[in-house]
Amino acid sequence: MLDATNKLLYGLVLRDAPFVIAAYAVLWLALAGYVTVTLRRLIKLDKEVKLLEDAVKARTKAE
Amino acid sequence: MKRSLRWALILAVLGGLLTTLAFVGAFTYARVQTFSTTVNVPNAVARKAVKAGFPAGDAATQMAAPPGTVAVHKPWFSQKIFFFHVPIAVASLVVMTIAAIFSLLFLIKRKKSYDTRAKVAMEATLVFIIGTMISGDLWTRASWGVWWEWEPRLTTYAILTLLVIAYFVLRNSVEDEERRATYGAVFALFAWVDVPITFMITRMMPSQHPALTGLETSNLIPFMIGMAGMSMLGFAIYELRFNEEHLRERLAALKEDLEG
Repeated sequence: MLDATNKLLYGLVLRDAPFVIAAYAVLWLALAGYVTVTLRRLIKLDKEVKLLEDAVKARTKAE
Repeated sequence: MKRSLRWALILAVLGGLLTTLAFVGAFTYARVQTFSTTVNVPNAVARKAVKAGFPAGDAATQMAAPPGTVAVHKPWFSQKIFFFHVPIAVASLVVMTIAAIFSLLFLIKRKKSYDTRAKVAMEATLVFIIGTMISGDLWTRASWGVWWEWEPRLTTYAILTLLVIAYFVLRNSVEDEERRATYGAVFALFAWVDVPITFMITRMMPSQHPALTGLETSNLIPFMIGMAGMSMLGFAIYELRFNEEHLRERLAALKEDLEG
């Protein structure tokens, strides 16, 4: 248990804590999520482009 | 891997590291700022508070303090949101300026890649605007006790948010590619007018929103690190999305090639 003095002192600071934690957590998760999703889409597209490029090359050779 | 993509990845990692460093610095290195309002606390608490770095209240408040209590400045813990909120807000304005520049270039040179760059920059702007709004709202609630206040900075930024959303609504409502790009570019330039207004408004008229002036060193260092990190993240997001759009266009061209 906190003593009365510490309780008051922490009370002055910690009233805002949930908002501060929420602000950082939401921003971090949103930015990290956005970068991860973009990267995954990029990797998938890159694979598809390579496949199609190979297919176009193969067709050109066959012709 | 393309060189620009490699740079984007390096900047994304560096940006992540620097913003994390700013976050740690905000809670360890930066001194807790105090509110101009004072609170009366018992003597024992005041002694600890002053020892912990909270300044005592001004003389007039001290005189009026009830017996057995001392006035100290209220610690402003919610100010810690500043170290993420301001860099992300500044990044949103910078990226939107980049979108406006590419929109102008598109209108002059009519090159499709400029339109793609403008669209991607607008998308990054929207991501940063959402981040600014969320962190700002939480700070508003913690500091002012309300979720929203129709004061100049918040109002002009809300208008900017609506304009950026409207940009995408406009783009999605036009079928023809050329017309879509032209309308989008003109609208982006029109929307950008709100950027300097939003930035300057707290300096031009009375506003509850704090204006960025005279940070003390312990706050300035984590803030600058946060600014550098967020700028790198902004550029990384923009480059990653541009590379994605470029690959999409290449994919469409290849499909057409194979089908034709």
